[in-house]
Amino acid sequence: MPRSARTAAALIVVVALLTLLPLVAGDYYVYLFALVFINVILAASLRPSLSCGQLNIGHSAFMCIGAYTSALLAKDLGVPFELSLLGGAVLAAAVGLGIGYPSLRLRGVYFAMVTVAFVEAVRLIASIWVPLTRGNAGLSGVPKPSILGMTLATKTSQYYLGLVLMLVVLVILGKLERSRLGLVWKGIGLADNLAQSLGVNIANYKLLAFALGCFFAGVAGAFYAHFIRFLFPPEFGFLLATNILIYNFVGGRGHFAGPIVGAVFLSLLSEPFRGSAYETIFYSIVMLLTILFLPGGLITLPGKLAGLRWWKSAAAESPSPAA
Amino acid sequence: MTPALFVQSTVIGLSIGSIYILMALGLTLMFGMMHIINFAHGAVYMLGAFVIYYVFFQWGAPYFAAFVVAMLLLGAFGYLVERSIYRPIKGGIEPTLVALLALTTLLQAAGYPVFGTLDKHVPPVFSGTRNVLGVMISVERLMIIPIAGVLVVSLYLFINRTRMGAAMRAIEQDKEAAALQGVNVNVVNGLAFAVGFALAAAAGALMAPIFKLDPMMGEQPLLKAFIIIILGGLGSIPGAILGGLILGLIDSIVATALGAEPAFLLSFVFIILLLLFRPTGLFGHAP
Repeated sequence: MPRSARTAAALIVVVALLTLLPLVAGDYYVYLFALVFINVILAASLRPSLSCGQLNIGHSAFMCIGAYTSALLAKDLGVPFELSLLGGAVLAAAVGLGIGYPSLRLRGVYFAMVTVAFVEAVRLIASIWVPLTRGNAGLSGVPKPSILGMTLATKTSQYYLGLVLMLVVLVILGKLERSRLGLVWKGIGLADNLAQSLGVNIANYKLLAFALGCFFAGVAGAFYAHFIRFLFPPEFGFLLATNILIYNFVGGRGHFAGPIVGAVFLSLLSEPFRGSAYETIFYSIVMLLTILFLPGGLITLPGKLAGLRWWKSAAAESPSPAA
Repeated sequence: MTPALFVQSTVIGLSIGSIYILMALGLTLMFGMMHIINFAHGAVYMLGAFVIYYVFFQWGAPYFAAFVVAMLLLGAFGYLVERSIYRPIKGGIEPTLVALLALTTLLQAAGYPVFGTLDKHVPPVFSGTRNVLGVMISVERLMIIPIAGVLVVSLYLFINRTRMGAAMRAIEQDKEAAALQGVNVNVVNGLAFAVGFALAAAAGALMAPIFKLDPMMGEQPLLKAFIIIILGGLGSIPGAILGGLILGLIDSIVATALGAEPAFLLSFVFIILLLLFRPTGLFGHAP
């Protein structure tokens, strides 16, 4: 079977399994996998920005904006879920444009530091602006998501909503990566001076990659808000931003599937310690080991193992020089 | 704001600024030589404070002995980090930054099971208050200024008057040329890590008697130090000192007038505006 057909078959199997999951697994797994979908959207939406060489350590800020916007639109103004989700995503993208315009002219380290400071700034706003966000008391009673006026009351129906959202986001991001735009992003990441000398307006392309990522982080945040139904500013701090980055690096940055693999692998494996300090300890150790011993990420592991097998069998078959 | 309150927040701003300067100097030294930002700096600050808690408070060693122990211990840790994380990655800037980020989240998260979740306090080292221009300021806060001053002057003399310091300056200018002149780049980089970590530990050790101890306590000083080195220009030591003083003063005066959280928001807005008009900071060169 050709490679693309094999990939397509594998994808169909995975989607079919995810569709069947709520029928065979209990509520716990439904809940867990819905959270995994959110992490996958977050990880994949950071990829355009990373691929054009921007180390964005502030992605959780845009999830936070999407989550609060959608939650408040729905709760205080009664806006239907479809529109509040869109509102959250659009506001996240708009803030992304606003913050990205000045900071994307900065390179490397300067940019990374601005994004770190931005996460803190957004978190602080969410905790100071008590009349709007209820501050550190947390925003509770976010309405359940609805589609065309029908409330998705059960966790299972919300799981399917999350699955569909994730697939839509992945298809859009995957198509973009394969398009000319994706090639330009990659080109900027490999050699921005060269790209610029070829007449590419790198600032605009970087801004587009950044704002698109913010838009989808906003989508993830909006879904999170209506799924968990409780928002708490410290949840959207530096730690979440680091985790999103870690998904990309642990999964591997050489392939579109990298961040997806990273998000799924880490979210599922860290499940026994979710919410405790041990979750972060686990993430950090896996991150350090990956960077030191598997710089291409998990996505390169099968290739490496295959290479090892090939090397072993080749060594066994070929006669040694001494013979 | 009354004149007395202004004088008081200015003096407190100078002492906070001294802490920021200690944090920022190590960061900017490491950036100048290796073009990396040490995200673990805040965690090292936290560890410095916890060394004071155990060695000074729990085990009863004299404060200055505990202070030296904190600097030596974390300096050695810095050398080890260069050896086991920075060097194996071989200069890849992005992976190094992410690895240091992972190290900092690891140290912070490990702080909870290791140090416990209850708030820890270190008793005051210097007691009493002094009259400064008609305002009473605690000696605890005043003492930070001369101690940090001594450390800054020692660093200045080390960089400008010793062979090792000359090697550091050589690497900052041109790594290859320095290596060709017989500088052992690995060892000198390791030393820069050690010095940077020791200074961050000193900052934490000085603040330990003033604030409560918590594994996340380094996050705010780290962010402040980021803002300072952007303000001063990355890699610039005079920039870090001036930037630290400016931010310390702004911070303390605005915090007295408006509260701590708005003060931090303001410093962030300020830095975005600065970068818009002067992307290389006050003393930085073009990137």
